[in-house]
Amino acid sequence: MLLILLGELHMKLNWMRRQQLVGYMFIAPNMIGVSCFIIIPALFSIILAFTNWEFPRLSADFVGMTNFSRLFQDEVFYQSLKNTLIFLGSVPISVGLGFLVAIVLNKSVYLKNMLRTMFFLPYITTGIAIAFVWMLIFQPVDGPVNTLLKSMGIVHPPGWLSSTSSAIFVFDIIWIWFLLGYNVIIYLAALQEVPSELLEASKIDGARRMHTIRYIIWPLVSPSTLFLLMTGFITSIKQMGIFQAITDGGPGDSTTVLSLFIYKTAFRYYDMGYASAISVILLLIIIVITAIQWFAQKKWVHYS
Amino acid sequence: MRKLILTVIMFLFALLMIYPFLWMISTSFKQPFEVFQYPFQWISDHPTLKYHENVWTGPASFVTYYLNSLKVSIISTVGAVFFAAVAAYGFSRIEFKGRETLFLIYLVAMMVPNQIIFVPKFILFNAMGIYNTHMALILPGVFTVLGVFMLRQFFIAVPKDISESAMLDGAGHMSIFLRIMLPMAKPSLATFAIIDFSWHWNDFENALIFLLDERLYTVSLGLQNFVLENSVDYNGMMAAATAGMIPMIIVFLFGQKFIVEGLASSAVKG
Repeated sequence: MLLILLGELHMKLNWMRRQQLVGYMFIAPNMIGVSCFIIIPALFSIILAFTNWEFPRLSADFVGMTNFSRLFQDEVFYQSLKNTLIFLGSVPISVGLGFLVAIVLNKSVYLKNMLRTMFFLPYITTGIAIAFVWMLIFQPVDGPVNTLLKSMGIVHPPGWLSSTSSAIFVFDIIWIWFLLGYNVIIYLAALQEVPSELLEASKIDGARRMHTIRYIIWPLVSPSTLFLLMTGFITSIKQMGIFQAITDGGPGDSTTVLSLFIYKTAFRYYDMGYASAISVILLLIIIVITAIQWFAQKKWVHYS
Repeated sequence: MRKLILTVIMFLFALLMIYPFLWMISTSFKQPFEVFQYPFQWISDHPTLKYHENVWTGPASFVTYYLNSLKVSIISTVGAVFFAAVAAYGFSRIEFKGRETLFLIYLVAMMVPNQIIFVPKFILFNAMGIYNTHMALILPGVFTVLGVFMLRQFFIAVPKDISESAMLDGAGHMSIFLRIMLPMAKPSLATFAIIDFSWHWNDFENALIFLLDERLYTVSLGLQNFVLENSVDYNGMMAAATAGMIPMIIVFLFGQKFIVEGLASSAVKG
């Protein structure tokens, strides 16, 4: 009797061990790739941040915190930090706008699907190609935007991309436009989970409608709001392509954001150690944003 | 009545959203002097196909860029879907020690910005001898973190009873994965494939850093090259931009339903 029990136990253990092995085998191919091309390089970059390696020199020395102290005295670093923050400002604006559009599209329009498609088009089709279209739309002398402003009686419209004071805001406008479709889609999906009596109630009269949207629907979709804000911040902080393509950080350094600053330091000046130090700061910022999300989720977000 | 007014307002807003696309297409058929003409005309008085022809047959032909982009994007996407599906099955259907810890590593890897891994990848690709080849885009491209995350969400939603009864009949995980999971998860695989393809097609940063030879350029990089060389040829730029966008517009029109549902479900349920 005992023998049979032991035998069964043995088989069960064997089965579990095999199950373990099969599990690892399923994960392994992707895990190895992700380790080789993401995790190990990221760790390696953290080490590089403490060296003075310059491409294509074959040797490097550990220099301790030198790169970081240099960073904190580097005006371009502060400028790029400031530009990054201004650029990130587009995220809450786009999320807020996305909520309003979704509320209206959800129940109060005809041709809902067609309108949704139009709002969503930029998010999927936008690569570097559209960057050049925006460049011409904001052309300072007689581009469509300034022609419109002049026809409205504004004699000296902004120089947009050609002026150090306005160039970064063009990127905010592009980015609000780019993210909007995604925000609308996510809010529309979230609104489907809101009980329909609440949405019906919001149709009755003006004052109550506003009240319902502000005090009932907005808190109910707050998990989506948090999700959109945080993923929005993270995708935006990583964005480098449109800056490189449209202005390459100029005029001056007025559109140099952190990600572009890293790229230029590494692949224009080949100052690899220093570039790695900046990228470590970028990673820290992303970790802080994620941590805030983690804690805010508990405090602010309303789970029904 | 209120609904009608809101529809009109939203329609105008939506027109503003697609305005850059319309402006791009309109300009690509115009003559140079018409680009910023006032008052504005959507349809040129002297429409020309010259700029579109030039994009495809001119000295910097887009044909090469297109073939390169298609090659890189298709191979990367097929590989990414396969490797992500296998891993997602492991994470969602097999219980093994350390699964949660490993998955946590994936979540952390998702935060890692491209910029922090550029330099080590540059060193690695040089050492492997694949710097300045398409492999430098394809090889890292087939290993996706976000794909594992998305497909895991989808796989969890697939009912377990069928695979459990198959397991009682003696089927192993490999055959359940191939014969039951993959066929059932077809819509989610399609969703991820479409989204992943658009990432690869639109990828500019990796091509910028890892490709040098103009022969190897992808569409994004070729487009930038075109703009740098023809910075005053606005019509040519817009024709080239249109060419760069065509595949994404096609993907968008045919795959919109998949994309919208895929993105929405991975965000709302996640």
